[in-house]
Amino acid sequence: MTGMRGLSVFISDIRNCQNKEAERLRVDKELGNIRTCFKNEKVLTPYKKKKYVWKMLYIHMLGYDVDFGHMEAVSLISAPKYPEKQVGYIVTSCLLNENHDFLKLAINTVRNDIIGRNETFQCLALTLVGNIGGRDFAESLAPDVQKLLISSSCRPLVRKKAALCLLRLFRKNPDAINVDGWADRMTQLLDERDLGVLTSSTSLLVALVSNNHEAYSSCLPKCVKILERLARNQDVPQEYTYYGIPSPWLQVKAMRALQYFPTIEDPSTRKSLFEVLQRILMGTDVVKNVNKNNASHAVLFEALSLVIHLDAEKEMMSQCVALLGKFISVREPNIRYLGLENMTRMLMVTDVQDVIKKHQSQIITSLKDPDISIRRRALDLLYGMCDVSNAKDIVEELLQYLSTAEFSMREELSLKAAILAEKFAPDLSWYVDVILQLIDKAGDFVSDDIWFRVVQFVTNNEDLQPYAASKAREYLDKIAIHETMVKVSAYILGEYGHLLARQPGCSASELFSILHEKLPTVSTPTIPILLSTYAKLLMHAQPRDPELEKKVWAVFKKYESCIDVEIQQRAVEYFELSKKGAAFMDVLAEMPKFPERQSSLIKKAEIVEDTADQSAIKLRAQQQPSNALVVANPQPVSGAPPPLKIPSQEPQSVARSISQPNGTSSNLDPQAPSPDLLSDLLGPLAIEAAPGAVSTDQHGPSGTGGHADEVDGSAIVPVGEQTNNVEVIGNIAERFHALCLKDSGVLYEDPYIQIGIKAEWRGHHGRLVLFLGNKSTSPLTSVQALILPPAHLKLELSPVPDTIPPRAQVQSPLEVMNIRPSRDVAVLDFSYKLGTIVVGAKLRIPAVINKFLQPLQLTTEEFFPQWRALSGPPLKLQEVVRGVRPLALPEMANLFNSFRVTICPGLDPNPNNLVASTTFYSDTTGAMLCLARIETDPADRTQLRMTVGSGDPTLTFELKEFIKEQLIVMPMGSRALVPAAAAPAPAAVAQPPSPAALADDPGAMLAGLL
Amino acid sequence: MIKAVMMINTQGKPRLSKFYDFMTVEKQQELIRGVFSELCSRPENVSNFLEIDSLFGPDSRLVYKHYATLYFVLVFDASENELAMLDLIQVLVETLDKCFSNVCELDIVFNYSKMHTVLDEIVFGGQVLETNSTEVMKAVEEISKLEAASNAISLVPKSVSGWRGR
Repeated sequence: MTGMRGLSVFISDIRNCQNKEAERLRVDKELGNIRTCFKNEKVLTPYKKKKYVWKMLYIHMLGYDVDFGHMEAVSLISAPKYPEKQVGYIVTSCLLNENHDFLKLAINTVRNDIIGRNETFQCLALTLVGNIGGRDFAESLAPDVQKLLISSSCRPLVRKKAALCLLRLFRKNPDAINVDGWADRMTQLLDERDLGVLTSSTSLLVALVSNNHEAYSSCLPKCVKILERLARNQDVPQEYTYYGIPSPWLQVKAMRALQYFPTIEDPSTRKSLFEVLQRILMGTDVVKNVNKNNASHAVLFEALSLVIHLDAEKEMMSQCVALLGKFISVREPNIRYLGLENMTRMLMVTDVQDVIKKHQSQIITSLKDPDISIRRRALDLLYGMCDVSNAKDIVEELLQYLSTAEFSMREELSLKAAILAEKFAPDLSWYVDVILQLIDKAGDFVSDDIWFRVVQFVTNNEDLQPYAASKAREYLDKIAIHETMVKVSAYILGEYGHLLARQPGCSASELFSILHEKLPTVSTPTIPILLSTYAKLLMHAQPRDPELEKKVWAVFKKYESCIDVEIQQRAVEYFELSKKGAAFMDVLAEMPKFPERQSSLIKKAEIVEDTADQSAIKLRAQQQPSNALVVANPQPVSGAPPPLKIPSQEPQSVARSISQPNGTSSNLDPQAPSPDLLSDLLGPLAIEAAPGAVSTDQHGPSGTGGHADEVDGSAIVPVGEQTNNVEVIGNIAERFHALCLKDSGVLYEDPYIQIGIKAEWRGHHGRLVLFLGNKSTSPLTSVQALILPPAHLKLELSPVPDTIPPRAQVQSPLEVMNIRPSRDVAVLDFSYKLGTIVVGAKLRIPAVINKFLQPLQLTTEEFFPQWRALSGPPLKLQEVVRGVRPLALPEMANLFNSFRVTICPGLDPNPNNLVASTTFYSDTTGAMLCLARIETDPADRTQLRMTVGSGDPTLTFELKEFIKEQLIVMPMGSRALVPAAAAPAPAAVAQPPSPAALADDPGAMLAGLL
Repeated sequence: MIKAVMMINTQGKPRLSKFYDFMTVEKQQELIRGVFSELCSRPENVSNFLEIDSLFGPDSRLVYKHYATLYFVLVFDASENELAMLDLIQVLVETLDKCFSNVCELDIVFNYSKMHTVLDEIVFGGQVLETNSTEVMKAVEEISKLEAASNAISLVPKSVSGWRGR
């Protein structure tokens, strides 16, 4: 560092540059110079090399790409002299990343420095590894670093670096630390006297326990000891006392580590800890010195988190709330900020909400704080604490704030206001008011799903319709209104404008003129809505209004040749329809009620949400019966799945159901169109599609015949307890398992009959069709099919004819509804007679849990908040599964995807882990997001740790067991007798096909697994 | 874990930056610019916290302190305590103060290499290494001595085993 004049001169040159261009020129010149020098190795003294490398780092910081000289930087690491070596280490760790090839070349040098006896070299090497060491380093260096850490002859300076270096290596490769051997060492390390080493060791511990707290349970009392030592200020050197607080960092770290242990069972440890916590909670005051304040409150807030985590006694909890109540009104903004943040976290704890509500006015004041950070926290807290009792106040505050809020907050604000209004509305007219105000004040930030939702409510609640119509009419009087307001008021007035007919200014022709004034200002997607409204107004004009007719027809004529096909089609069709008199009335009748939908808004918000308050909301949602508005039509209609979880998808389907032309009779059908059919509703032909109709395949299982033929005829598998007089073709269990993963195929076959199956699944509904084909030349008589349903499924099998004529096929539809999560299986008890032969079989129906899953791929931003929101059992269950069939990761990913649990690649930073997500549908749970994480052990592929979470405890358990079944090893190579499940069999058993087939066909592989 | 340490002057020029997750030069500059544009729009006497999810991804936090012409910035994830991070900035500044006796921006500009040494003694691989500025100073001075010594005598690397008996 001393005597690097060249670097100082260069920095000074850069400072003297008048503009960016001059700087660039100077940098380019310097880079050119360095490049030339590096080419001429001979004249390059180590000193010069060092100087240039520093310049490179400086240039790098300025934002210029330095794509050469890396080798030179790395080569300095092996320089014998300290200054060059030091530069080599520092610059390398700034310029290169862990995967850089040059770095691999340096591993040996680095290792030599670590195991060498020169402590300064050890420090340099540890710093490099701690900053950029990757897997390679973890594998070759972990034991050496461990030795340094536990060595009694090393100075603290080296040991504390070794601790953090080991942490890095552990993060890169968890196997770098052998749990069995290391747990005891770790415990001993926490007895360390030197607070520097102790702080680093505690950081290491935090990383270790976050991964596996059980193994390090002996460290728990040690952490409490550390806290006691610091709290009593025993053996704390003066230098480690920061503004009078004994090492706040160490206190914070120790409390952080404790938060990874689920509970503290030992009563005396618990007692000691609570004494310390009590002392911290009581003994912290707001003082003048900012730094002292920060330090003491760092400790205090960590203590609060720990208290919340430990779910302490009620008394202590209310003490915490009282403290937080104090904090949110202090002057010091940092404390106020953290007070709000922690209060939001506190919402998760039961019984304190009422205490928090007492602070509502103070929190609302924070919504006007000059600091946006604080305003955001206040918004989150208000959102989290809102319920029926205070919704009106809070939402109105939010609306008021909306006019002054900065743009970056408006979208979130309007979404939150809309959600709260929906969830906690005391009455529906208030809800309509709020949403219309929202559109009026912040139209740009009101997403489509917000206005779709209000339309749904108005449509489904007759009492609300006149009110909504008059409100919509009022807004139209404003001079400039947002386009979204045009859409929503046009829609509402088209449907319900006639309810206002007696009021002044609300006749059909007046409504038409005021709406038509807006048409020139709107964009293409709004025009079709206006056209539909015109048609409806025309229809409602009673008696006929020739004047209005003329005007509206002129509009239709005008758009007859519009380039936009949607507009054109509506114009043409409405024009023709409007001349049809009575038929016109029929076709344009009021829109049917919408099926009850789960609010897409709420889903959307949950994804946007921060962790803390989101989980608070979730938790409370589970605690109290939802006060959300109930759409009047409570029966979910078959064929229409509950809304999907993906925010982009739901609004779309709503959009379509609203924006489809209101003109066709099919829309009078109260069944909601299903998304599949809607997907092309905007296309000209799709209007004819009957919503909800599930097309039945007329052709029978012809496509599956080949599959049946392939099966080795000699593989005879008796069917459970049945005594059959016929040879079954194929393996029933195998067929069943194949059908668990696909939707059509052969369920059963013998010389006389083939039973095929074809299924469609939508949400928690399924429609299966059984195809019973008589292969023989004589009729099959006394055909009987009986369904033995498990408790969680509602099954309805259409009657099967008593006789199946020769060479004929009959179809029998089977309706399935999933009531709740379960792995039990439905059984078809089937029998027939052929002449004197009586054949019977009990067949499992492939209406299994994974059929009610819908693949769903989440992004990091979507996944983690949800994951964290599921705090632990019973919603989130973890299990170490042993005896897993060894699978490479890609194979395992295929396996998951095949049963519709979608792997989300790249979400987990550890490449040995998989995370997956899916949506489960059942009548009781509705659409429910399920998340899973599989942590594999690269060293032992037969075991893994699996964590499954969802919003429903039964679902979590069933799904976990289901996944486990899929992963567990099955006895190999036995073409043994496989009992078909006469009773629902949870553990599926089957034989794998040949290994060759396994390798390249995931399906076959899977069949083997099952 | 600490994700980045930045020192940016009030004109937006980076004076020192260190990222503990690897990032390309472009990404680093983008983040520095993004952080600066957030910082410079903040009034005085507000909290030291900033929401930064849009730049560093969910669950990231930022604390900063404004001293004269410089912003000291720490970006970190949910595993760290916000106020403790704020204290760490104070430790860093106090250490620099001891190093340069009343540190100012120019000291930081012209002692670029020493800044790295100091920072490396306080933050190590994204973790808090040392919070005791006396201890940090000791380590930094040792390094300075070593550099000076080996500039003078250019022979075998100096053994430091003698230090052990301190």
